[in-house]
Amino acid sequence: MIISGVELSKSYRSGKVLDNVNISCSAGEICGLLGSNGAGKTTLFKILCGLISPDSGSVKINSKRVKPIGAIIEKPALYDYLNAFQNLKLFASIQGAPTDLQSINESLVKVGLPLDRKDPVRNFSMGMKQRLGIAIALLNNPQCLVLDEPFSGLDPIGIAALRKLILNLAENEKLAILLSSHIIDELSKVSQTLYVISNGKILKKGSTQSIITENTDTYTFCAPNISESKALKNYAVVVKGNCASVRLTPDKVPGLIQEMYNEAIYITSCTPEINMEKLFKNPSK
Amino acid sequence: MKALIAAEIYKLLRQGKTYFALAAIFLIEGIILFSAYYQGSNIIDILLDNLKQSFYFEGNLLNGNLLIYLILNTLWFHVPLILMIIISGILTSEYKDGTIQTVMLQPISKWKFMLSKYIIAIGFTLLVVFFLALTSFGLSYAIFGNGDLIVYLDTLNFFDSNEAFYRLSWAFVSGSISMVFFSVVSLTLAVIFKEATKTWIIAAFFLIISNLLLKVDFGSTWFNRLFFAKLNDTWQYFFYNEIDWSYIYWNSLLLIVYTMIFVGLGVYLFNKKDIG
Repeated sequence: MIISGVELSKSYRSGKVLDNVNISCSAGEICGLLGSNGAGKTTLFKILCGLISPDSGSVKINSKRVKPIGAIIEKPALYDYLNAFQNLKLFASIQGAPTDLQSINESLVKVGLPLDRKDPVRNFSMGMKQRLGIAIALLNNPQCLVLDEPFSGLDPIGIAALRKLILNLAENEKLAILLSSHIIDELSKVSQTLYVISNGKILKKGSTQSIITENTDTYTFCAPNISESKALKNYAVVVKGNCASVRLTPDKVPGLIQEMYNEAIYITSCTPEINMEKLFKNPSK
Repeated sequence: MKALIAAEIYKLLRQGKTYFALAAIFLIEGIILFSAYYQGSNIIDILLDNLKQSFYFEGNLLNGNLLIYLILNTLWFHVPLILMIIISGILTSEYKDGTIQTVMLQPISKWKFMLSKYIIAIGFTLLVVFFLALTSFGLSYAIFGNGDLIVYLDTLNFFDSNEAFYRLSWAFVSGSISMVFFSVVSLTLAVIFKEATKTWIIAAFFLIISNLLLKVDFGSTWFNRLFFAKLNDTWQYFFYNEIDWSYIYWNSLLLIVYTMIFVGLGVYLFNKKDIG
């Protein structure tokens, strides 16, 4: 375990933001933290990164590196009057990381940023800022990376590119990666472990796919001629255009796809529609 | 620590607003010189018409020394106000842009980071006052020449040109301690209030109140001598007939102690506070 938060609680004047939260992440593992806005995700990450102190509980970091955790909290905050190279060099210099041309260029290349952009980062797209933020977070080779809402504000190409970068960092560099989002689709594509947080409490913890499966009772199938399917008539179904939302249990999905295939209906996508009420229902209530 | 200080200098010099603020200070200097050039003689003649009938003044009274003294008087309000805006901005802009969070996510100590900001604030303030003095001496002598200095402090005090240069130079040195005090206070206010507009308003309020309290007699000798607001006019004491060095030393030392207390308070509060 590289990082773990044990029984963390935090209150502000407005009320309790975190209530006895436990969370952990191992090397090479990507842990997703799912929660709506105001659920306590950012506060939890700030505590894990040492920006704010918890009222109770502790953070344990199993790393002897100069910088155990790299992070982007809320948004990649950069000196917008400096260019990417200057930003990286500045942040490297204050923490004693190498500041030579080759090292900085390597950091830029690692996150897929071009070396020929010399304009201030205020001109950068959000995707490029996220990449530069990650490059800064990765200075001094931390063993853990914490990313708060990394996909927000990105276009689909930016999301795909960032997803690839996160997966590479976990797989090739064995980083423990904690990332939060309020959109489950994003987390389901990258995280192996999922924590569901609501009102400052962790409601569910487990394998991402298991949690998705347990909380899915509807699937959306898309195919050009889906409305002609006879197999669909055995289920509660709502057809809209080329897509049909079908209520069924996960074990029946492969069979239904096969039946539709036999009817020459070739499925182009099958998307689990998670029951959010069920997902965010507190099991103790 | 050296790297943090270097980074702070780099950031300060790379921001356009630093140069706008500096330009504002030197624009004020330029306006004083410009108006003196076109209107100054008439005003001086009206003011000193009676005196000129009784005394002989060597050279033109509207001379470089008088202009330097007028520029020196911007240390009452204009210069400290602009300095407070620039200096508090080195922290409030980090809060506004969120870069303080990115910095604090790096393996650096909070107190060292804050102390480096104070060091830069002090260094930058001294540099600004030095350049203000340098340009005011250079331009004033170049445009208006040398001559006797006449200053009204309770009574009219006259200094010959050599004495005037000596006293004006020391007044800038003493004034720089006062400017450092206001700069440091503004940075401490930035630690407390975080937000730029709030900090600027409170800093301007602090400056105005300090200037008002300077004129108030609190009826207690020790309080009048120890209260910080009473120490900010020390640079004016160089324009009395006799320079009271012990008074100036005491005031300067006390103001330096107050400055250090504000530095300590700012570093302590920043270290204690959560980020974000």
